[in-house]
Amino acid sequence: MPKVKMKRTGFVIDMTPLVDITFLLLTFFMFTAKFKSEADNEQKFQIKRPKTQADTAKLPEKDVAVIRIAIDSTRPSDTAYYFSVANPELWMTIKDDPSLAEWLTPERKEASKAMIKTVKIEELETLISVSRTQSKAFNITKKTATEKAQLRFAIDADKRIRFKWIANAMEAMRRTRQTQFNFVTDKQQ
Amino acid sequence: MAGGGELGGGGGRPKRGKHSKRKPKKRLGFRIDMTPLVDITFLLLTFFMFVTTLTTPQVMDMAVPPETEDVEVAESKLFTVRVREDGKIFYNQAKDIPQPIILKELRTKAIRSNLDMKNELITVLKIDENVAYETVVNILDELNLAEIKITQALQAEKLNRERKFTISPMTDKDKEEIKGL
Repeated sequence: MPKVKMKRTGFVIDMTPLVDITFLLLTFFMFTAKFKSEADNEQKFQIKRPKTQADTAKLPEKDVAVIRIAIDSTRPSDTAYYFSVANPELWMTIKDDPSLAEWLTPERKEASKAMIKTVKIEELETLISVSRTQSKAFNITKKTATEKAQLRFAIDADKRIRFKWIANAMEAMRRTRQTQFNFVTDKQQ
Repeated sequence: MAGGGELGGGGGRPKRGKHSKRKPKKRLGFRIDMTPLVDITFLLLTFFMFVTTLTTPQVMDMAVPPETEDVEVAESKLFTVRVREDGKIFYNQAKDIPQPIILKELRTKAIRSNLDMKNELITVLKIDENVAYETVVNILDELNLAEIKITQALQAEKLNRERKFTISPMTDKDKEEIKGL
């Protein structure tokens, strides 16, 4: 007697290992994900950083003041310095500093939630010295006046920009006695 | 995974009646349909994968000399690197005539000159205002890479490396010197 053929309807795959791996990856990406900061959000331009091989230190996420210089694609002459500080609390105190009141009008202050566009090089100079003194005062009140918590300065410039812009920013650093600073670069693959 | 989930307790179900003739079915484990779970997990996974930026920017250390009176240095100890408006690099040691050099050779040149002079050599970088920032960083990168080799070589001789490096503005005299080369 011939066997009766069983008709199979569908089949079952064990998905458990798949789910295991997916969850593993998911948790990994969830923990490593960094969302756009407020400064990035306000930034209307994109900076193409120069690539280097020798640098290994990462740009710190806190206690760093960044001077951004980007190419303005529409009006090349309009390029300005953008100044921002990574710590939001410190940023508020810097913005309210009386020595900035001369040129930082309420409207301009309102418009600069996370970064200030400086038009003149003197403005950048005041910002550098103000943020340094404010960060010192801030660290004393929070009792974190350690070497690590000191505000660092970094220049984040577009690689296509003329060196004149960087030289001027460096000169501003020199005049405010901020002789140590960093250039922001990208890793060469 | 076709078909819906069959949720059911592993344990015994209360008998339907006292006189039930049906044998209590013994269930071994149970199966949950994982398809919706996997769906959502993959969705979240792809979302986080697109959102993350794995490359964090790096920093290069820089220093500018403080605003003090000019320090006198012997010209024989100077290793000057000049960058012309068109991006061409020139180097000269002491009072030599500036020589054109390509970026790739700058590293070996810097290593050799520095090792000849041990810690005495002062590297001066003079850059024209109109040079692209990328060129400047590339040169600094080459010098930093040379620095690693120099430090290693000096350490082999039981010497501590003291780097002497500065960026100084390009004067008209500098421009004149490398103009026709």
